[in-house]
Amino acid sequence: MALLDIKNLTLYIDTGSTTVKALEKVNLQLNEGEIRALVGESGSGKSLAVRCIIGAIPDYWSIKADRITYQGQDLLNMSYEQRRQIMRREIAVVFQEPTSSLDPSVTVGEQLEESIPPEFIDKGWFWQQNRQRKKIAISLIHRVGIKEHEQYLNAYPHEIPKDISQKLMIAMALASEPKILIADDSTRGMESTTKSQILRLLDKLNKTKNLAILFVSHDLLAITSVAHTMTVLYCGQTVESGKVKSLLRRPLHPYTKALLDSAPSFQLSLPTKSPLATLKGTIPTLQHLPAGCRLGPRCPNARKECVQTPVPRAIQEHTYSCHFPLHVPEGIAKRAPRVSKGLGAND
Amino acid sequence: MQRFNLYQEEYHPSPLINIWLEFRRSHIALAGFVLLVVFLVITLLAPLIAPFDPYLQNTNAILLPPAWEPNGTVAHLLGTDSLGRDIFSRLVYGCRTTFGSSLLIVAISVFIGVGLGALAGVLSGLRSSVVNHLLDSIMSIPTLLIAIVMVAILGTGLGNAMMAITLALIPQFVHQTRTFVRNELQKDYVLLDRLDGASSVRIFIHSILPGMVELIVVQATIALSIAIIDISALGFLNLAAQDPLIELGLSLSQGLEVAYVAPWLIILPGLCIFLMVLSVNVVGEGLRSALRTRLHH
Amino acid sequence: MKLFIRYLNLMVVTIFILLLFSFILPFLFPGDLLTNISGISPQSNEQRIALEQVYKLDQSIFHQFAFYIESLLDGNWGVSTSDQSNLLHELLLAFPATLELVAYALLIAVVIGIPVGFLSGLKNHNPLDFSVVTFSIVGYSFPVVWLALIFITIFCLQFQWLPISGRIDLLFDVPTETGFILIDIARSGISNKADAYLDALHHLILPTASVAIVTTALFIRFTRRSIMDVMEKDYIIAAKSRGFTQRQIFFKHGLKNALLPILPLLVLQISTLITNVMIIETIFSWPGIGRWLIQAIYQQDYPAIRIGMLVVSLCVMALTITIEFITRAMNPARERAESATV
Repeated sequence: MALLDIKNLTLYIDTGSTTVKALEKVNLQLNEGEIRALVGESGSGKSLAVRCIIGAIPDYWSIKADRITYQGQDLLNMSYEQRRQIMRREIAVVFQEPTSSLDPSVTVGEQLEESIPPEFIDKGWFWQQNRQRKKIAISLIHRVGIKEHEQYLNAYPHEIPKDISQKLMIAMALASEPKILIADDSTRGMESTTKSQILRLLDKLNKTKNLAILFVSHDLLAITSVAHTMTVLYCGQTVESGKVKSLLRRPLHPYTKALLDSAPSFQLSLPTKSPLATLKGTIPTLQHLPAGCRLGPRCPNARKECVQTPVPRAIQEHTYSCHFPLHVPEGIAKRAPRVSKGLGAND
Repeated sequence: MQRFNLYQEEYHPSPLINIWLEFRRSHIALAGFVLLVVFLVITLLAPLIAPFDPYLQNTNAILLPPAWEPNGTVAHLLGTDSLGRDIFSRLVYGCRTTFGSSLLIVAISVFIGVGLGALAGVLSGLRSSVVNHLLDSIMSIPTLLIAIVMVAILGTGLGNAMMAITLALIPQFVHQTRTFVRNELQKDYVLLDRLDGASSVRIFIHSILPGMVELIVVQATIALSIAIIDISALGFLNLAAQDPLIELGLSLSQGLEVAYVAPWLIILPGLCIFLMVLSVNVVGEGLRSALRTRLHH
Repeated sequence: MKLFIRYLNLMVVTIFILLLFSFILPFLFPGDLLTNISGISPQSNEQRIALEQVYKLDQSIFHQFAFYIESLLDGNWGVSTSDQSNLLHELLLAFPATLELVAYALLIAVVIGIPVGFLSGLKNHNPLDFSVVTFSIVGYSFPVVWLALIFITIFCLQFQWLPISGRIDLLFDVPTETGFILIDIARSGISNKADAYLDALHHLILPTASVAIVTTALFIRFTRRSIMDVMEKDYIIAAKSRGFTQRQIFFKHGLKNALLPILPLLVLQISTLITNVMIIETIFSWPGIGRWLIQAIYQQDYPAIRIGMLVVSLCVMALTITIEFITRAMNPARERAESATV
């Protein structure tokens, strides 16, 4: 059974004058021990999807979905208290800006100790508990690869460099020994050495503790080295999803192909001084979302049928939402099994 | 630079209009704004609005209660005072004095305060932080104290009281402007202007000032409410406006003598002051909310 | 430590400036310089010359200034021109009365205003919040003068429940020890203490209420806005995502971060509070510094004004600087010293 199962998630945002479908029928599945990458350019709604999962949505948003479940439990309709418990122990989130995710008036060590669930501390006098907390905190810090714990534990958030900060956030996330770690663009704006350190750390955690990771990013290079599966999001719609290897080898959706093409290292045969491959146009604003397949206006393959929202179809665990997928002759495309409502995306 | 519209139907109002639209959505803020405009009209057109001459004494009509009381007449809508002068007219003229002088106070404070603050913001280093700290200390002296000292030195009178309150309000603007200017000077768009060869004055007027206007307006509404309360309080203490000048605070203290018999003589002027301050504060809150929402989106 | 030195420095400089200013005042006041300084108007030429010698008017400005500081430290604060009473004595009597009103009003504002502001800001957009906001705006728009007068009209004149003036009925002979009426009653040996307490409270209610309402309304407004701003910050969302309860989040992270930026604003309100108290004293004939100073100005009692101004501004300044120092010291991000916007 999938750990996290999201089916046809639609997010309505009330902008005062109109209601916009910021996310439309998003499908996402995360299994145990799987590293899934959620990929898309800025504005594609990746962070919105994360916020829907963790429930940090303001009042003027509303969600409709066929299913958002964690280990079978329905996240949408459960009580605030139940959801809080799940967020506390099972799901952990690492946000984009480590410094602003920390309370600036409290030392980092205190915040780390705060994240340790009280169930892990044995009963005893409170100084004994404090000592144990400290010990656990130190071991957490070591686990993420920070050696000089003394110096950092007593520092305030603004005194710590960003890469250590981000590792600390991961340590805080691990404190509750979660089953899922959601990393919302955690390596944004980092230097490549730091980035690869963090990625290696996540990889190690996945392999040693069977931690499922949902890695949200637009950095294709980084992700494809680590992730097992990948979901591509464009403008609030899931566009393609499947194993990283098969997406890289044979992208079925024009957008995925464009994404891969735009990262030069994926193209082995780039002639010198040639223009970089991009899709023309820009991502549409929330007020002007195209009807049907949202890639329509920009897609080189677009035809009349594209004003209908394409239904997700699957070929061998490789799901795509396109009327005219690449590499697939038209006949087979029309006969590929639809992803029906009752089953998961990967069946 | 080429100006083309990617989306024809898209309407992007300027920030100022944005604030107005946002402001308009709160009914209370609008009501406050209307009230404020009423007071403004009264201030400007007092002689046209007042039915009687406020100085005219009528010994036949002393201490008449307001029209809705059994002894009152419609001629004197809000009654008369102990010298037979029509209250409504006196209120109108009193509003003019109180509101008008407060507006003047705020205008001068803004002008001097922003100017000094900009200067202080441009001067960097030890000097300006010393000035800043001194300012902060001066800011904390109670207004009444400054007024008392000024009045002691210069004598009583509306002008002197106005000077005292202006003095008390200036440091706020200096402080705010200085902080803002110092922060903005470190930003890149100012650097770009400088690289283009703009002089400091030009940078200030064209680049920094527009961004500052909103903050100053908000601060000005706070200052206006403080000014109204202070000038009427000083008027009440007979330290500001003096007889025969008509001012709401002064009317309050004059009415105090006969308050036992004619309570409306203290209720009405105070009500005017209250409504004045309330409208300013409501408009101020509305502006602040509108600004905040705009920054959010 | 460096911070401490800086603030100490600031305090010293400010004190010096205030002393200088109060020294210059007699020269600025209209009337006879000698009378302005000494409080005594010389009746004859010999008296004039003698007085001038005492106050060192024949020597240089620096000597005069030094003499002034010396006499301040000595406790020789001069006499009032109106009744020749010793200024130091008068001030010592009046000061605690003002302090009493200020302290009680501040206490109410802090104890009621801050928690209500927090509650209202946390439970945003529900009817409770709306009524709190309404009360708050109406409250701080009220001119203190008018509020006091309305109270008097209703409670004293109409219903005659509460007294208009003074601190305690003259029938009770309470010896002045600390100057705080409630404490003095407790420590005195009079027989009917309960009645005395009741009476003193009756006298206290209206003045305190008039000032406290306005100040509380202001405190509510500041705290509410601050907690609303803090609750939207990223680290609160991050804390929520770690599954802490609302209560945990508020007390551990929200409270401190909401209070710290507004402390300077709250402190600024103390000077408004003092202004209001001074006005209220006049209305209620409360024997405090405010009433004393305003009487002084009516009587053109310049020595009194000069000393009164010095004392009040020194106290306010010292308080403000101390609280600012404590705020800065407690704030870990003290390099980025930004105060909150209203």
